[in-house]
Amino acid sequence: MSETILFTFPLLLKGLWWTFKISLWSIALGSLLGFIVGVIRTSRLKILNATLGIYIHCLRGTPFLIQLYLIYFVLPATEVEWLKFEALPAAVIALSLYTSTYVAEIVRASIEAVPKGQVEAARALGMSKWQTLWHVILPQAVKLMIPPMAGVYVIVIKGTSVVSVIGITELVRAGEQAALRYPNELITLYGLVALLYFIYCYPVLRLGRWAEAKFGRIEVSL
Amino acid sequence: MNFLLDIYNYRIIAEYLPLFYEGLCTTLKISFVSLLASLAIGTIFACLRLSTNPILWRLAASYIQAIRATPLLVQIYIIYFALPELPILDRRLNEIEGGILALSLNAGAYMCEIIRAGIQSVSKGQVEGAMSVGMTYIQRMRHVVLPQAFARVIPPLLGQTAILVKDSSLVSFIGVFELFSAGVTVMAERLIPTEAFVTVALVYLVIYLVLLSTSNYAQRRLAGAGSGVI
Repeated sequence: MSETILFTFPLLLKGLWWTFKISLWSIALGSLLGFIVGVIRTSRLKILNATLGIYIHCLRGTPFLIQLYLIYFVLPATEVEWLKFEALPAAVIALSLYTSTYVAEIVRASIEAVPKGQVEAARALGMSKWQTLWHVILPQAVKLMIPPMAGVYVIVIKGTSVVSVIGITELVRAGEQAALRYPNELITLYGLVALLYFIYCYPVLRLGRWAEAKFGRIEVSL
Repeated sequence: MNFLLDIYNYRIIAEYLPLFYEGLCTTLKISFVSLLASLAIGTIFACLRLSTNPILWRLAASYIQAIRATPLLVQIYIIYFALPELPILDRRLNEIEGGILALSLNAGAYMCEIIRAGIQSVSKGQVEGAMSVGMTYIQRMRHVVLPQAFARVIPPLLGQTAILVKDSSLVSFIGVFELFSAGVTVMAERLIPTEAFVTVALVYLVIYLVLLSTSNYAQRRLAGAGSGVI
């Protein structure tokens, strides 16, 4: 057992490094996109709003696995040159889109949780809509976003395990490769993989709990 | 109609309809059994989690943390591939049993948190009131706490059920033939990714929309009933 761990640990750590990189890229891009979508969703642009509602439901209503396949297999079949992605960009794009739907709902719920009187007061002082958003709403809303956001980031980190299916050697695939070499030590190997995920995810979950105790919670349906 | 055939060849899909139907049935079956099992697991662990006995609630808490901080795919692999190394069962779980077990244990942790939040959302004054009129623990639970908790728990439980159905696509990794595998099979046989995967995505979307509208309906109905009581 100790021999197995010793020999496979570098491989697993390399997998973890890719999991780390993919998840951070997806979290960054997905949060940015989700933030924009969420802010638009609180505005009164009706048609845009409804379109984004459909976007969110479509991504919420299908498994991530399918979304990944749609981006990796179906988009290249459209014969459009710039839609032909390599495995890595496809994974990051799929995960970012997936993240963005969660982030958008959190951003919307947090903005709506700021009492209306504050917006009215800011408008009465002659602030423009953007000034109200930037100086009054967002500073308060951002605190409310942190606890559910931590939950979403954990979902995304766990979601990276699925991209192993299109051939990216992240943690799960590294574990599978190690399992090919040590087929009788599967408990050790997959236990180790699970432990590495736990070490990555648990602090994020704790951060969310800490933020929830500090800033309070809002109801977001995830 | 020819331009539609270019984008989406529904004739091939019609040919493979029995295959998709078989996959859909398996998906629904696995999801349903896992739903029942996870509700049972969730309720038991919610009671343990709320217990004042430190051993019991710590046990429940660590189960929840362990599930929430690791990916479902790894849980499926551990249960299906690694568990047979331990001498617990005298035979291997087949892939459907392994998939259902992993999905139930996974969803159970989330169900547990939802049920716990529901029970805790009933205000303490109500429990104290019930105690003061001389109700026993069972009576308090049955007549005061659970009916109110139930109303608040239904919408998030339906949301979690939608996640469960989506997550069930991952059991295709251990060789269960379900809805997603049907798409993969069509793709492999006819090399038509668009038709194969868009069809599967649409079916999942329909299941999701049904659950979503049920959840919205329940929320409207039960919010009225719940708020009247409080």
